[in-house]
Formats: sequence, C-alpha cells, structure tokens
Amino acid sequence: MYKLTGVTKLYQKGRRTVPAITGLDLVIGDGEWLAVQGRTGHGKSTLLNLLGALDRPTEGKIELDGTDLGALREHQLTGLRASKIGFIFQTFNLIPTLSAAENVEAALIPLGVSRAGQRRRTAGALDAVGLGNRAAHLPSELSGGQQQRVAIARALVKGPTVVLADEPTGNLDEDTRDGIIALLEKLWRERGLTLVLVTHDTSIACRAQRVGVMNNGHLTIRQDSPNR
Amino acid sequence: MFFLTYLRRELRRRMRQAIVIALGLALGVGLVVTVAAASAGVNKAQSGVLSALYGVGTDITVTGNTPPAHYSSCARQPCSIGGGKQPSTSTQPSTNGPTLQISPSGGAQICDNGHCVNAAGHTYDRLVPPYQEPVSASTVAAVARLHDVAAATGVLTLVDSAITYPANPAGSPQLATFTVDGVATGHTPVGPLADATVSSGRFFTAADSHAGVAVVDSGYAASNNLRVGSAITIRQVRFTIIGIVTQPQSSSPPDVYIPLARAQTLATLTKDLGGSVGNSVNLIYVAAASAADIPAVQREVSALLPHDIVTAAGSLASQVTGSLSDAAKLASDLGRWVSVLVLIAAFAVASLLTMAAVARRSAEFGTLKALGWRTRRIIAQVLGESLAMGIAGAAAGTGLGFAGAAIIATVAPTLSATAPSSTIGSMQQVVQAGGTALGNRAVVVPLSPSVTIGVISLAVLLAVAGGLLAGAFGAWRIARLRPADALAQVA
Repeated sequence: MYKLTGVTKLYQKGRRTVPAITGLDLVIGDGEWLAVQGRTGHGKSTLLNLLGALDRPTEGKIELDGTDLGALREHQLTGLRASKIGFIFQTFNLIPTLSAAENVEAALIPLGVSRAGQRRRTAGALDAVGLGNRAAHLPSELSGGQQQRVAIARALVKGPTVVLADEPTGNLDEDTRDGIIALLEKLWRERGLTLVLVTHDTSIACRAQRVGVMNNGHLTIRQDSPNR
Repeated sequence: MFFLTYLRRELRRRMRQAIVIALGLALGVGLVVTVAAASAGVNKAQSGVLSALYGVGTDITVTGNTPPAHYSSCARQPCSIGGGKQPSTSTQPSTNGPTLQISPSGGAQICDNGHCVNAAGHTYDRLVPPYQEPVSASTVAAVARLHDVAAATGVLTLVDSAITYPANPAGSPQLATFTVDGVATGHTPVGPLADATVSSGRFFTAADSHAGVAVVDSGYAASNNLRVGSAITIRQVRFTIIGIVTQPQSSSPPDVYIPLARAQTLATLTKDLGGSVGNSVNLIYVAAASAADIPAVQREVSALLPHDIVTAAGSLASQVTGSLSDAAKLASDLGRWVSVLVLIAAFAVASLLTMAAVARRSAEFGTLKALGWRTRRIIAQVLGESLAMGIAGAAAGTGLGFAGAAIIATVAPTLSATAPSSTIGSMQQVVQAGGTALGNRAVVVPLSPSVTIGVISLAVLLAVAGGLLAGAFGAWRIARLRPADALAQVA
C-alpha cells in the first residue's frame, strides 16, 4: 500500500523553481487500480516517478508497504525497483538489440535468478501476454502492440506488487489499445496488482477503480469506478 | 551469459562507431609498436656498435692513461718497430730486441747489442701494446673485488707488426700487421671472447694459460688460409691454432687471441718505458652487478685507479655519431612524441565517441535503472564494450605495428656509426689503418626493427587502457544519470 503525505516535488529550471507536485496526500490500496489523467506538464509523470522510486520528493513522505522511500539509500531503492515495481512506458523502452525473451530476461538480471529460472519465467511471462511464439524476435520485428506486450511481460516477469504504466497505449492504434488495456486489466485481476496508470484517454481511465486528475501539481480524485 | 550477449549485440549495432574507435586505437598503438620496434632496432644496432668497442656484457672499461709523448713514437709510428731477424721456433724471444735504424749510407739496418746488419732480405717483427700505458694485472683482481662488480677481466691488446725488406734494395718494404689479444684462459662473462662463437676447434681452457696455442678470428683465418692445427708466428714464436671463432657481425674483433701470460711474456715496450710488459694488461673489462650499479661502479673504479681512463658504455653511447645516432634521436624524440600525440588523439576520439554513445543510450540506461539494474552493473556493461573495442584495437594495432616494422626493415638504409677513438676499438684501428692514424672509427650496422613480447604487451596495455579510459568517461556519465531524467528525455 502506498501512502503519500504532504508530497511536494520542486524542479529547478535555471533560477526559477517550478513546482511539479504540491502538498499531495494520497493513499493507494493494495490491488487497487488508479488511473491518473491530466494535461501535459501538470505532474502526472512526476507522480509516477516518485511512486516508482525513480525520484525523491522535495518535501513530504512516500511510504510503500510501510517503508519510507525517502529514507532509503540509492541501492536500496534500486533493489526495491528490481523486486517490487514494474514499469510500462509509452515508448515501450525495449532494448533494440535484444530479442523479446532477452528484454524480458533483463528484468530478472538484478534478482540473480538462475539461468533455468530465467528461461522458465520468461517463457511464462511471454505466454501470459500471448507472445510465446515471438520470443526470439527483435523489437524491430514486432508491431507496436507486440512490443508493448513484451514490455508488459518484462514488467510482470519478476512478480511485482506494483505496476506503474505511463500512457501505455499512447503510441498504439485503437484496436491495439483495447487489446493492451484488456490484457492489463486481466493481469491486474489475476495477480492482484496495484496498478497506477497515467493516461489521456478517458475511456481507459473509466475502467480503473479510481480516477485522479492532476492539475498544476494537485491531484483531485474524480471518480470511483464500478471496478472498485 | 546475458552480459556477453548484450555486449556483442550492442557492438554489432554500433559496428561503424566500434570500428572507428578500434581503428583509432589501432593507429595509435600501431605507431607506438612501429616506433618501439624501430627504437629497439636502433638500440640493438647501438649495442652492436658498443659491443664492437667493448665486448658484450661489458659495462665499463679501464684503459691506461695516454703515455708521455716519447712513448707514442713507437705506438703510433711503425717506423720505430724493431724485432727479430727471422721467424724461429724459439719460445723465448730476446727482451727489448733489436731496433731498426738508419745506416750512415741511408739504408735500413737492424742493430742488436751494438751489432748492425743491412735489413735487406730480413723481416723485422715486433709485438707492442699500442698507445695506452699498461695497467698492473693486480688491479684487475682489485677491481673484481669492488662492491657491485659482477666480473672483471684484464686483456693485453697488442699489435704485431712485421716489415719485410726485399733482398733487392730497390724494392719497397712490405708491412704486415695484425692484432693480438692476450686473454684469460678460464671462462669469463666479459672480455673480447665473451660473445664469440667457436666455428671450428675450441676455446682456451685453464690448462692453456702458458701454452703456445692461439685462437684466430674467422675473418683473419679466412684471409690468411688458417685453420685449426695451423701455426701462426707472433714475434718469432710459433703458436698452434686450436680454434677459429666468429664475433658478432658489427664488431671489429682482434685477429688473434693468445693466453694472457704468453702475451705478457712476448710483448715489449719501447726502451724509453723500459722492460717487458711483464704482469700488465692495458684494458680491463668490467661488468656491473646490474645496470643500476654502473654509475657506482664507475665511481669506485675511478677512485681505485685515479690515473687511468674509466669509461662507461652509456657515456660512450652518447659519443656515437653518424646516421645511427640520427636514427636514435629520431626514434627517441620525434617518434616518441608523434606516438604520444597520436595516442592522445586516439584516446580522445574514443572517449568522445563513447560519451556520445552513452548520451544517445541514456533512455536505455534509464530503463535499465528503472528495471532495478545497479549503476555499477550498467557501467560494467559499457566498460565491457569499451574493453572489447580496446582489445580489437590492440590486435589491429599489433598487426599494424608488425607491418610498420616490416616496412622500416625493407626501406630503411643501412646505418653508420662513428665512435670515438679513446677505446680499445681505436687501438685496433691503429693497426687496421697501418698504425698511422688515431681518428674516429666508423661502423656500418643494419637497422633491424624487432617487435618484442614486451612491445606487444605494451601495445595491448595501451589499447586496453585507451578503451577503458573511453569507457570510464562513459561510466562517469552513467553514474551521473538520474533515471527520472533519462526517462523524461524519452518522453
């Protein structure tokens, strides 16, 4: 469970200090799906970075399962990301020289999983996203939707408790988008994931349990979805 | 496994850049190898020149000081040479012997104990040490006992000069000279025979110390049709040849070697200096315990023998002139600096390209950090790629270095070196020049660049260092990369 208390994130742009998030209080329960909407530059990605331990708040406290992320050292945050948090990016962020299977395996490297364990878990993750037969393909040999499925497999292969998705369908056509969201929803339900999904797409946001809107660094919870 | 797969694929993806970096390093390393090989060749040539003057393994030589002017008339000018009437089988020549004089009628005559005869139809043979004053043989033992001296041996270098006057007074006298070294008969790591190889027969043994035996240089043996078992006459005394030896190519060895004791017995000085050479030598070869000890040994010997000339090989090397010296300067100065500059350029290019590559891959590294990869793991990946490029550069650079050395060996002209006259070499030159000149001595040496294991190791080390340096710059950039910033760049 995430608990954010008075979280503020300021950026320095030259001599100016720009607030990205201001005084944010938020609780995200275990297994909850929170969709975050908002215009570009209003703090959505900053919130995701803070939740993903990729950045530290300027003020306030972020707790994950009772652990204050701000109190952890860098290597501890790295370990946390390796074991508990899965990321899905708008641009997929697959390593172009590695095959689909190797991209998925990359997420297991920090965990020190055995070679056999890597193969088994990678195959399982690719099967789960419907790409068991494309394991040896390079990203350039896959469609956008397939690449995002590989990215989802990479996020889930380590068995995280949290998945943070930053506009995962932003680069996909409508049909593919629906397929990806359906897949994410299925995996969320099956695995009891805590899913925080940033999206501009209201039709996607409506499928989440809660929808928050970021506006000038403030988050307003606007909707409790039927999924809740 | 994953590390190698990732590394291989990344290098393949950035093949062009990897080739540019590897070739840059190869160029720098190849130049270093070529210059080092050429330098080694020049050093080898210099060593050849120095060994021609000194003998292999010799760090320091001691020679007697220049004698007073009245002595030099004998050593420098063959006109004062005296000797016996005809070669004989006697083993005990007369002391101080007859002298050659001008008769009242203007002709040459030989006088011995007040009795003079016309020189026509006679050969006058005399064995003398040229130029330098003798050094007591006991000083050899004293030098050998010095701290930091590994070995020392004394040599009596002599010139056998024979003038044959034809029976017909109208004919011209014939001068025949050859050099004779009186050497220790036991094994010594230094001395004129230290680098010689026996091509026929054998070396001296300790049992030969007073025997009438000689070892002859192969060149002299060939030109005089001598072989093992032949006899050679030195100042009226017959010596049996027991061995033919070959010296290094660039050296100018003595013609004949005889046991030191026999040489001391045979040799005479001019009447002005009086008496026989007795228990003297005129050259001491000294080997220091290590190269670092040479200056100390030189000081110690100078202190022990303040009136003699103590010369170190290093100081002699600085006096070698000619195209060899020019080549040495070219290799050590221009070659070194060009190599350094090219290496710096190659390192800089490799570093800049690596940093640019890291900048382009910041999203990739940001993603890996988001996946939980530790910074050091990512740095290891980048360093691995740089190391691979460095190794490729080392391999290509070594190949280029071999090619460069081969080209130099093909196109380089033969080098000549001119060495100063204040050495044993000059003594031999006196003979070779007919005893009339004491000028500098020119030695022709081939330039043979050699790529040694040490040079190859240096090349590999440099290329790997260049690769790692480039990787270190990339690593520094990665270490400073914040994952949120890296991912924001993608967004």
